[in-house]
Amino acid sequence: MDPFSINGGACVAMVGKNCVAIACDLRLGKQTLTISNNYPKIFSYGDTYLGLTGLATDIETVSTDLRTKVNMYRLREERDIEPETFTNLVSSYLYQRRFGPFYVSPVVAGINNRTGEPFIAAFDCLGCTDYSKDFVVSGTSSNQLFGTCESLWEPGLEPEDLFETISQVLLNSMDRDALAGWGAHVYIITKDQVIKRLLKTRQD
Amino acid sequence: MKAEDDKTRILNDHCLMAYSGEAGDTGMLTRSFGRGKVQFAEFIQANVQLYGMRSNCTQALSPSSVSSFVRTELAKSLRSRKPYNLNLLIGGYDTVNDKPELYWLDFLAAKDKLPYAAHGYAQYYCLSILDKHHHPNIDLEQGLKILRMCIEELDRRMPMNFKGVNVKVITKTGIQDLEY
Amino acid sequence: MADRYSFSLTTFSPSGKLVQIEYALAAVNQGVTSLGIKATNGIVLATEKKSTSSLINPSSLEKISLITPNIGMVYSGMGPDFRVLVDRARKVSHTNYKRIYNEYPPTRILVQDVARVMQEATQSGGVRPYGVSLLVAGWDEHTDTPALYQVDPSGSYFPWKATAIGKSATSAKTFLEKRYAEGLELEDAIHIALLTLKETLEGGELNGDTVEIGIVGTPADHLLGYEGVEGKKGPRFRKLSPQEIEDYLTNL
Repeated sequence: MDPFSINGGACVAMVGKNCVAIACDLRLGKQTLTISNNYPKIFSYGDTYLGLTGLATDIETVSTDLRTKVNMYRLREERDIEPETFTNLVSSYLYQRRFGPFYVSPVVAGINNRTGEPFIAAFDCLGCTDYSKDFVVSGTSSNQLFGTCESLWEPGLEPEDLFETISQVLLNSMDRDALAGWGAHVYIITKDQVIKRLLKTRQD
Repeated sequence: MKAEDDKTRILNDHCLMAYSGEAGDTGMLTRSFGRGKVQFAEFIQANVQLYGMRSNCTQALSPSSVSSFVRTELAKSLRSRKPYNLNLLIGGYDTVNDKPELYWLDFLAAKDKLPYAAHGYAQYYCLSILDKHHHPNIDLEQGLKILRMCIEELDRRMPMNFKGVNVKVITKTGIQDLEY
Repeated sequence: MADRYSFSLTTFSPSGKLVQIEYALAAVNQGVTSLGIKATNGIVLATEKKSTSSLINPSSLEKISLITPNIGMVYSGMGPDFRVLVDRARKVSHTNYKRIYNEYPPTRILVQDVARVMQEATQSGGVRPYGVSLLVAGWDEHTDTPALYQVDPSGSYFPWKATAIGKSATSAKTFLEKRYAEGLELEDAIHIALLTLKETLEGGELNGDTVEIGIVGTPADHLLGYEGVEGKKGPRFRKLSPQEIEDYLTNL
């Protein structure tokens, strides 16, 4: 009854050459029983993307709370939030619940609008930030994701190669996790466009 | 144990909520403590009806709005001193977009919009039947046929007598009780 | 709390005016003149430091304050009210911003927060409006541009290219209108600031002890207190030392 693995799910983000990618599975389960095969775990806040795995109820709460915060930020500052700033926002927001945490493992991916630098980060449920120059993972398949990332990722991947890499990473990790899978969403983010692709995967 | 306990609530003209709590007559028992599933259902019902009254009955809450409201209340309760322990299905007809919708919510306040859903033991008996027979564009008649299959399966396989079922149908014209 | 008035002291007069705010503005207009000029690469804030007695140690008087490493402000009006606002501004820049986003607020956001504090004093029970107008100067990292704002006791605020507040604000602004040009550099702006002060001088002479200048310019890495950390930038807002001011004055 670990709250992080009741509903299941997987998420991964990667840095490429002037691009980033973020991908998630689509399963929503209740222990071993699958409830839905259309439960995306990636949310966009302007040009910054957030992946959330963990307890489904907290995925919903955290994503909508952050939606409110980012919308308020946008109105106040009259500009989009940068990935780095968003990361700090997520961190401080999660830490406010230090002694009654949201059971989620967030992942952030985006490109800094000013510098054009790709950016990814991940957190634990208390908001401790893990900055990374290569890849970050979260969810019930995080062990498998780390393994496939370590063997498939390489520096300087172009957008299309990055898509292929992150897709294979997610697909092969999900196949070894009973709590994740059932389809996937992949976002490839470059400075001037975002491509969202839906992956059909095995439905078992 | 009560045999004829209707565990549904009509929230507005096009929205129906079905709920199940802990097994047995806990609804009656917890009523005296003031925080049973019946209280939650009544609270939701009252608030959705209040919304309708405030807009001078010109506009009812859409199924998606109802389900979001229920989720927020359930999520609030989840981290309170004494959380509600109930699972919900919310069926509704979105009259604006002319679409029927079904929402699944569990006691953790996880919510999802689904083509078909079940709670409790029924999940293990019915979901595979629904997986096999449900298609995105079936009509009401076909839907009722699949429902009949599900209930027959429950009757046959469940090691207990659940003393019949309540069946309610939500369409564009409203909510009807079905003889079963 | 029965001995305390809890209704707002600022109430509408029959003609629709809030006279308490007008009185606060009158207090500002009796205050020593302060001015600010925005240049392409920075901002200068300048004011005259008038001491009532030669026995006062001039270095203990401070009218220009740093709020965040990139933002500073100066006032005309009541000194004690200014100090309260400086404390509040420093506090809200952390509570409302840095502790959430781990970066300092842009100038406009900080100005809005300070303006809110001042507005609340015009609508709250038992308090009087602040008797100061502020000039807030800052550098915005996300647009890489300087910004200069004026905040009044009513809580309204205005962005300026160059402006003045206090006793000789009108004549100083007329002077600035003549001297200001687009594409001004910080060094020229400091020069013009001193000329304006001289023009509106209310007695006494200009020297390093009687003039106070704060600038927003290039990052002052020497004020960081350490070196060798890559990517670390010093504060953009800093105050000129009496010696630096003397140097500018001799070139006037």
